[in-house]
Amino acid sequence: MQKKPSFNTNMSRRHMLGLMGATAAVSMLPWDPLSAQTATGVLRVRLGADIGNLDPAKIFLIENQTVAGHIYNGLVKYDQKTNNIVSDLAASWEVSPDATVYTFKLKPGVSFHKGFGPLTSDDVKFSYDRVTDPTGGSAYRGQLASIKSIETPDPLTVRITLTAPTAGFLHKLTAFNQGWIVSRKAVTEIGDKYSMQPIGTGPFVFDKWTPGNEARVIANKAYFDGSPSVNEVIFKVIRDETAAAIAVENREIDIFFALQQPDMIARMRKAKGVVVFERPANHTINLVLNTTIKPLDDVRVRRAMTHAINRKALIDGYFKGTKNEASTVLTPSFVEYSDDVVKYPYDPAKAKALLKEAGLASGFKFVITSVGLNPFDKIPVPIAEDLKDVGIDASIQILERAAYQQARSKGEIQSCITGLVGPPDPDSPLVSLFSTKSFPPGLNTSKYDKVDDLLAKAATSTDPDARKAAYLEILKRTASDQPLIPLYQDRLFLAHTERVQGLIQNSLFTMQSFGVSLKG
Amino acid sequence: MLGHVGRTLLRLFVTGLGIASVAFFLMRAIPGDPASFMLGDYATKESITALRAKLGLDEPVWRQYTLFLSHAATGNFGTSVVTGQPALQEVMASIPSSAVLALSGLFIAILIGLPLGIVCAVRNGTWVDVSVMLGALAGISFPVFWMGLAAILLFSYWIPIFPALGSSNSKDILTQIYHLILPALVLGVSIAAYIARLTRSAMLEVLSQDYIRVARAMGVPERRIIFKLALRNALVPILAVIGVTFAWSFGNAILIEAVFSRPGLGSMLLKAILARDYQLVQAGVLILAFMVVLINASLDLTYTLIDPRLKAS
Repeated sequence: MQKKPSFNTNMSRRHMLGLMGATAAVSMLPWDPLSAQTATGVLRVRLGADIGNLDPAKIFLIENQTVAGHIYNGLVKYDQKTNNIVSDLAASWEVSPDATVYTFKLKPGVSFHKGFGPLTSDDVKFSYDRVTDPTGGSAYRGQLASIKSIETPDPLTVRITLTAPTAGFLHKLTAFNQGWIVSRKAVTEIGDKYSMQPIGTGPFVFDKWTPGNEARVIANKAYFDGSPSVNEVIFKVIRDETAAAIAVENREIDIFFALQQPDMIARMRKAKGVVVFERPANHTINLVLNTTIKPLDDVRVRRAMTHAINRKALIDGYFKGTKNEASTVLTPSFVEYSDDVVKYPYDPAKAKALLKEAGLASGFKFVITSVGLNPFDKIPVPIAEDLKDVGIDASIQILERAAYQQARSKGEIQSCITGLVGPPDPDSPLVSLFSTKSFPPGLNTSKYDKVDDLLAKAATSTDPDARKAAYLEILKRTASDQPLIPLYQDRLFLAHTERVQGLIQNSLFTMQSFGVSLKG
Repeated sequence: MLGHVGRTLLRLFVTGLGIASVAFFLMRAIPGDPASFMLGDYATKESITALRAKLGLDEPVWRQYTLFLSHAATGNFGTSVVTGQPALQEVMASIPSSAVLALSGLFIAILIGLPLGIVCAVRNGTWVDVSVMLGALAGISFPVFWMGLAAILLFSYWIPIFPALGSSNSKDILTQIYHLILPALVLGVSIAAYIARLTRSAMLEVLSQDYIRVARAMGVPERRIIFKLALRNALVPILAVIGVTFAWSFGNAILIEAVFSRPGLGSMLLKAILARDYQLVQAGVLILAFMVVLINASLDLTYTLIDPRLKAS
């Protein structure tokens, strides 16, 4: 024992040599490890955060939704390019003239993954019932609340009866969140672990999840719409955007999903053999004002604040032009979008005049509450500066995500920054942000109550023109009342290497590998 | 020996109970609700209430606490509210990746730090000493995430010899090692700085002692004085630091994990805390504490092997 000290020179020298040997071995290997993984047929996609829940009744966060979109179908879906609602699992559908009964004919011969049997109307009923079940704790119960009953006259027919005419009901059944169809057998048999062992009918079969690292899906050769061109998709968790950009440049990944930082967008545009896609998102980012707290209850004060905030400078400066100006909460992705509303251009003088008119020439104390996530922890800074310039004593409170959520749902803060990522269903932002039904809990932290009548009219009118008119009226009224200040329309960016062919960028803030093929 | 094991076990139990309680109450003290976090922006009041009931969050806190303790005692840490998987299983799944990084980082750190520290002590005051210590100061001062990003920029971008992603699920062991080199090197270099400084000061102290001077006077070869007489005596404080560093790099390698997109215990815990995934945090913190206690206990045993004098006390 004593003759053998634990650390002696020979020992370390041997270790040192061993390590040097190992390094030399790696650098002299005949194969190139960087390209060893790029076997044809494996598509590698960057995710900015780990997945964690693929159960459609409870799913949220774009990473989960992206992976789930590979696994599940809905009765109908948004065409990725146009956002028109097109057939998915339903071969055809009929809507009763009063828009209260929706009847779907399912495509025959569709099967669930991993031997869970054929898709039947009962699975569709089961999927919606578990969302509307009051004890099920689904996040999307409100989305399907208008369902009165679901009947399944035969295995391929689903008849949904609604409590009231709802012309936009198809939006709720699109292949997204609550619209994704699960298998009764799979959910019942797999039980609690279902959220990470999902079974769908989609183009890819869920294979393996390595927490914090990656998720793999493999091609469903028996997919009803044809087998995917890639054999496998690996979703790699790469949190840091700089690391993700280098990984694209080194061809360690093929698709840079959720590219957001202006610097990285510029870098990807300059990179050789890399293509950058962009399109308007379905959401805007808004400074939501609590209209029940003085002096924010005065519309002149809210208008003054909108005049005071230089949104153009925020977009051109902080975001380097990667966002668009917004005047309402809808974006051009929506069929119902319109820019024909009252606008509040940057005008500090006018803001001061309006504040004076409201008897607040000496300003007031205002707190911007935001969440500690990039960029929402940074953009309050220029906003607060702008507000100070017109005499408002603005300060900033940044909270960690769950704490922010709690503060927001208490409804006692003056303001918060809210953006609602969702489908191109106009109700998604409009009901969620402006309906009295949406607080509490929910996102109408303005506690705004002036468009309930119009929302009801838009929901129930069966005439497309009347619906569109009602939505336009909502946009006009909310623009006039300014319960929230739309800061900017989000724009989605995605980069991919030239190897990737046939990729279509959607506006849902997800990514779909079906239809993608790999060159070389 | 049995008494020692018994004392270690008792200490483990008390530490475990304390840590479990702290983790339990701290998680509940911070604002935020797992149910509303999980359900997102479209949640209705009924769904939040239903989920809270399902998760047992509607029970009084003391009842949740006793339930948690009684279940934890039987090794049942519940299921993660986010993924529905058993919490313990998720924690255990994240350990290998952290352990591999911590071990290889430590190995590199010892390999670099120990010889450098010895050289500095022997060549005390020369330009070698000064420049190595300056380098070590830089190593301590630069935050590890900065070193990680710099390493990626240097070795994956400008001189693209290593991948930017610090992990691979390839079954090929060589590919796995290849992906590990850069993160392990960054972790290793940052720890090496500490080890070098500590080795230097520990060695200097020992080298200035009378018995070394006596040994020199008696003509004992310098090599034997340094490695046999001095290093062995200096090793106890160095080992203590290595032990602490090892435990530290388990939980705190999170910055490296984030930069190199590696999975691990640290990033899993962070994710769980942000999602208010109570069960997962509790399981993770307990397992982490258990490992720290275990590492320290086994280090205690090695001290006595290196320095027989410690056996008596």
